[in-house]
Amino acid sequence: MNSVIPIIPIAATNPIDIQSLVQPDRVHKRVYTDPAIFELEMDRVFGQAWIYIGHESQVPKPGDYFTTRLGREPVVMVRHTDGQVHVMFNRCPHKGAKLVPDGSGSAGKFLRCLYHGWTFKCDGSLLSVPLRSGYECTALDLKDPQYGVRKVARVATHRGFVFASLSEDGPELKEFLGGVATSLDNFCDRAPEGEVEVAGGVQRVVQRNNWKIFFENLHDTIHAVATHESSWRAAKEEHESMPAGTPKPFEVVIVDGNGEPLEFWEKLELKGYDHGHGFMEGIFVPPTDPVSLAYVASLEAAKGAERTDEILRVNRHNTIVYPSCSPHTSFQQIRVIRPLSVDRTLVEIFSFRLKGAPEATFQRTLKYTNIVNAPSSNVMSDDLEAYNRVQEGLGSDGGDWVSMHRAAGRDQPLPGGRASNGNSEMPSRNMFAAWAGYMGVDTSTQTGSAE
Amino acid sequence: MNFRDWNEQQDLTQFLHHEARLLDEHRWDEWQKLFTPDGLYWVPLVHGQVDHLNHASLFCEDALLRSMRARRLEQARAYSQQPPTRTVHVLGNIALESRDDDATCTVRSTFLLLEWRKTEQRTFGGSVLHTLRRADDGWRIQTKRIDLVNCDAPHEALQVFL
Repeated sequence: MNSVIPIIPIAATNPIDIQSLVQPDRVHKRVYTDPAIFELEMDRVFGQAWIYIGHESQVPKPGDYFTTRLGREPVVMVRHTDGQVHVMFNRCPHKGAKLVPDGSGSAGKFLRCLYHGWTFKCDGSLLSVPLRSGYECTALDLKDPQYGVRKVARVATHRGFVFASLSEDGPELKEFLGGVATSLDNFCDRAPEGEVEVAGGVQRVVQRNNWKIFFENLHDTIHAVATHESSWRAAKEEHESMPAGTPKPFEVVIVDGNGEPLEFWEKLELKGYDHGHGFMEGIFVPPTDPVSLAYVASLEAAKGAERTDEILRVNRHNTIVYPSCSPHTSFQQIRVIRPLSVDRTLVEIFSFRLKGAPEATFQRTLKYTNIVNAPSSNVMSDDLEAYNRVQEGLGSDGGDWVSMHRAAGRDQPLPGGRASNGNSEMPSRNMFAAWAGYMGVDTSTQTGSAE
Repeated sequence: MNFRDWNEQQDLTQFLHHEARLLDEHRWDEWQKLFTPDGLYWVPLVHGQVDHLNHASLFCEDALLRSMRARRLEQARAYSQQPPTRTVHVLGNIALESRDDDATCTVRSTFLLLEWRKTEQRTFGGSVLHTLRRADDGWRIQTKRIDLVNCDAPHEALQVFL
């Protein structure tokens, strides 16, 4: 195969020809297991794409900060006195110390480095240094912007969701999000006041798998009935043990839904968009428990019955904003995916309050988060086991390729993307098409696998 | 607050030891029966957490969710329980926190939990607040609150009751 991009010399003894590892309907196991490819991803995928940083409500007042990682880079989101939110490297330009501790809090009016007291405005610009006279007639020019805190190349916000990119180039955020911007819009539209805010703490789960395995699973519908058999059976048995005619409690609905037969998943719609994004239609019938009904009433009171119906008809399960997060719009949470190493991934789960909705609506959100995605989740523990067995199996010599052939060649074109039936492996193929693009593979010359 | 006498201390200590043993031996049905019908099993996510309704938790389980978990742990296809998690609890520092009336009291204890599955041993530790209510045939748990020392750490899967 003629490689359009040169072979990248990671180490003299370990050249990587990325092009040879990705085909339209299958990928080589090395993309999940090779630490050198992970390092390249940090440069080329996480160094180019718009990465989800956090939500503006996490820094409500000037001086408030929230730290996270953008690929390998420790970054901090700070609200400046003028109200604008900035994302910069969490690094003092003097000796390199992290300017604020990991986590969130308030820096007050300035960011002040703990080491020598260099002080910065909340937009990162240098305010003062001690012993200013010591720098007179030296090569260090305090007016030089390089002595402010370095900002990431680009920051943009969509309805309060803050994204940043380490690259000067590339599409604008709105263009990047494409068809999944509607998921973020619907996330906010579901609030009677049209806005959401992060609340109730963040759960963190460490997974023993490559980050891409997690993303693939988000739209891998048909694993549910097999992988989650233990939890959906337990939920069904629980309901059966109740007096006949007992309505299904919310807790049962959100767990036993995984046990639908394959025909159910087949009928769902999956959409894939450029840059690897996509969404999956909602799998839960909108709940009719008293809390959910009171929420719908609050939305109707604010927006009218017609608009409420329009908003709630956008019923989505997971949305993929590749390669950094997955909003769940109907239960108001975002899972943020932070790759740690080739076989370790951190997933952070943020819950959101719908402004103007009854307090019990937020408590329902937390219930969903606690039951479905917390470290203690009965559902997710079997996912984690599956990811781990995939990771370990891919590290073996038992085979070289990972198949993504299911329903290949049957996608329907969409503006900016493609649609498929619910049990297609289109989402995985779609994500790898984006991945290959970031990694520098010229896909125009690809002809598919040899099989 | 002191125990009223050696008998009360012995009574409550034995109850906690019995509960820990039920968990270590996976006797989930017997363990669930230790709770009052509206009893809560709660593992906060952050230190000093006061609210289990408006803040996420590591575990926040009522009778329904405890029963679902216990049922799941017994499923043949609970893949992440192949092999099952094994644990041993070590309890200490058992003290009477408060006595509301003759039938209700709160007991504080500390614990270390060794957990083993597949290839690795994990350690958890923290303090526990049991709010107990006396029934005809012994104590019932109104609330079991477990404050892990590392509650706010990133965790791998937590599958069995702590």
